[in-house]
Amino acid sequence: MNARMSRSYRWLAPAAAVVAALLLWQLVTAGGLFRPDQFPTMVDTLLALGKAVATPAYWISIGSTVQAWFLGMVIASVLAITIGSALAFNDFAFRSAASVIEIFKAIPAIAILPLVILVLGSTLPMKVFLISFGVFWPLVIQVIYGVRSMDPVVLDTARALGVRGVRRFVVVTIPSASPYIATGLRIASASALILAVVSELVGGAAGIGRNILQAQNGGMTAYPVMYAYLLTAGLLGIVLTGAFFLLERNVMHWHESQRNIRSNAEGALK
Amino acid sequence: MSQTTLPTVAPERADGPSIGETTDLLVTDRRTRTPGSVLRRVLIAVWLPIVLLVLWWFLSASSTSPFFPPLSRILEEWWNQWVIGDAKFQLASSLRNLLFGYVGGAAIGLVFGTLLWRFPPMRRVSNPIVYFLYVLPAPALLPAMIALFGIGELRQIALISFGAIWPTLLNTLDGMRGIDQVKFDTARAMKLSPPRVLFSLVLPGAGPQIAAGLRASLQTSIILMVVTEMVAAKEGIGYFILQAQTVFAVTTMWTGILTLAIIGTVANYLFVLIERFVLRWYYRSRALGNS
Repeated sequence: MNARMSRSYRWLAPAAAVVAALLLWQLVTAGGLFRPDQFPTMVDTLLALGKAVATPAYWISIGSTVQAWFLGMVIASVLAITIGSALAFNDFAFRSAASVIEIFKAIPAIAILPLVILVLGSTLPMKVFLISFGVFWPLVIQVIYGVRSMDPVVLDTARALGVRGVRRFVVVTIPSASPYIATGLRIASASALILAVVSELVGGAAGIGRNILQAQNGGMTAYPVMYAYLLTAGLLGIVLTGAFFLLERNVMHWHESQRNIRSNAEGALK
Repeated sequence: MSQTTLPTVAPERADGPSIGETTDLLVTDRRTRTPGSVLRRVLIAVWLPIVLLVLWWFLSASSTSPFFPPLSRILEEWWNQWVIGDAKFQLASSLRNLLFGYVGGAAIGLVFGTLLWRFPPMRRVSNPIVYFLYVLPAPALLPAMIALFGIGELRQIALISFGAIWPTLLNTLDGMRGIDQVKFDTARAMKLSPPRVLFSLVLPGAGPQIAAGLRASLQTSIILMVVTEMVAAKEGIGYFILQAQTVFAVTTMWTGILTLAIIGTVANYLFVLIERFVLRWYYRSRALGNS
């Protein structure tokens, strides 16, 4: 009984906190701490969100943001996984490339945004290029470390069994490195969304970011709409990173826990 | 086994070694550090960047593309703009905002991360809100910040701080939760006072992961610095780059990109150096453990 109570408490308390936060929002805005031209009330915002949800424009803007996010993620992860695992197998190649990767990783991706806009315009390819560029470098580092952390015994076993080439890549390399790749993908997912929003906000490509800026330019009456899109951006963030978080936890569970159980058992025998 | 049913907010730390590790040019294991091996490491690390730069120089030398001017012209223009010219004053404003925003946000993250660790009910209650704010793409808040703070520097610093809070907060919390319970029992047996426990057990114990959070916060801060300067600003390096783009001064724009790349790289290396110094006990113990 106690366990069930504490479990429902675990769900109830955060839910109550969300409600309390929303009420607090309503209180400070309706109470006059913020002027309506600074911060719209919670009720107005939710009404605006409700109205926006019924329009196709709302879903189109989400669609274009998610589309750029998805394409950028796919391109970056395919490149990072192939290039990263190729580099990881050769010590010289890895050490040589490391400094280049570090330099590119340190360049904030938005630095090249104006250049990309010039070359590609305010288009989907512009967003996808920016996202892939920004996400690729941290991801490739994760892949390299994932592959390099591979148990040498696993590699030897694969060699003894005659598993090589593409088959070894798919059956041995990727699963061994998967916890690192999963972590890298989760972080990449968050940065990809940020870059998508920036490319819409600064670069003027279609999507949630542009709608937020347009609502802000639309003056005070459009502010609830702006916050409605802001809420949408946050919810999208929860969905997109939450998916990778779950993936990561499941992959990690399979991988790490197995090893820990085994090593604990070995430790007990000694 | 899991303590919360909600997804616990995910730390920014990439599991396993991150950038600190590939910069082992700076710190190598002392026993293997002979002059020859250091020279070889340096050579292996720098040959590819040099080759790429030389390639860029020669491939772009006769470039007539309006978007990719010759590297020689970019460097010349860079010297004129950033060393002789007035562009360096843009840098001062950018770096000031970055510094205030980053330090403010990181401090808030550190303090609240510690508080959330110390008071688990608070942690459970605030979990969904913290998670929402963490995954909310911070640049999307820019128009709201303009509405709240106007278009001055205050909203730039506010947005940079806001973005810098979450990676530090989550990593602080996660690092502190990961400390071995036995250590707290020992501290209790030694009757250490709470401040003493905080400064000699909790903060050092979570140190490596706090550092990872601080580094992620720094990267977010730099991105937000540029974004805030690209929208409704009148100075700063982001403004400089975007301004050059709108008047189609492509070479000038390239010099801004180059400067930003230098800022990012220098900030990163400074961070790694400071981290290596502050956490030298940790890296030393890890190097011993690995050998």
